[in-house]
Amino acid sequence: MLKAYMVLSIILFSIGVVGLISRRNIIVMYMSVELLLNAVNLSLIAISADLADSSAQVISLVIIAIAASEAALFMSLFVVLFRNRASLDANLFDMLGSKK
Amino acid sequence: MQNEIIFTILALITIVSSIVMISAHRPIDSALSFIVTLVSIAALFALVNATFLFVVQIIIYAGAILSLILFIIMFLNIKDSNLPDEKHKNRWLMGTSIIVAPFSYILIDLIMRSDIAVNGVASENFGTIKDVGLTLFSKWILPFELVSILLLVALVGSVTLSKKED
Repeated sequence: MLKAYMVLSIILFSIGVVGLISRRNIIVMYMSVELLLNAVNLSLIAISADLADSSAQVISLVIIAIAASEAALFMSLFVVLFRNRASLDANLFDMLGSKK
Repeated sequence: MQNEIIFTILALITIVSSIVMISAHRPIDSALSFIVTLVSIAALFALVNATFLFVVQIIIYAGAILSLILFIIMFLNIKDSNLPDEKHKNRWLMGTSIIVAPFSYILIDLIMRSDIAVNGVASENFGTIKDVGLTLFSKWILPFELVSILLLVALVGSVTLSKKED
């Protein structure tokens, strides 16, 4: 059962990496990052159930809290970027890197 | 035996909905299929007796974070002209999958060869709020306090970012 959980977690992580690299829509990129965090959580929970140790569950609780704060920051970034450029294209959001 | 059948069904739902999530054109479609992914991952948590994490996953991820995403998508009033025109989206997805596939194959092969299945005997109250809470407040008290600081910084940062410049 643990091996099946780990394999599923690896597959989900790979799907998240593919979505993060190949898409340009910034909301889909954000959700791919969340998918990466969820894949890690899944393997942590499987390990904790297999070892009968609840430390890994605490680690995934911390990861969920980090994902929540990341969500808050990403949402305000979406609002600011959409207000400035009126688009969701990640290629247009280069205000940090280039002079106007 | 029954657990394996439930696991297979949930794993298929998770994989299919996450593939739909990364390949949908409109963000509202990918957000809705991401909810399906998160709920089935929560069911996978419940399958290994992690009841507290099951509740947390449902409430925080599928409840709070995804409703925040849906709220933002509807609040921004996104039209088709605002979306990036990803003409070669399918080609990009295929190419990236071909690049990423060998790495995941190596990892899966490593997992299948190893003998990691320890199968410790879970006690009666494993995964309950009492068990997780006792571990959190005894061994992991410093990360817990650091998370509270992190949440405060995220709160201040999101208010500062979305403030209108004058």
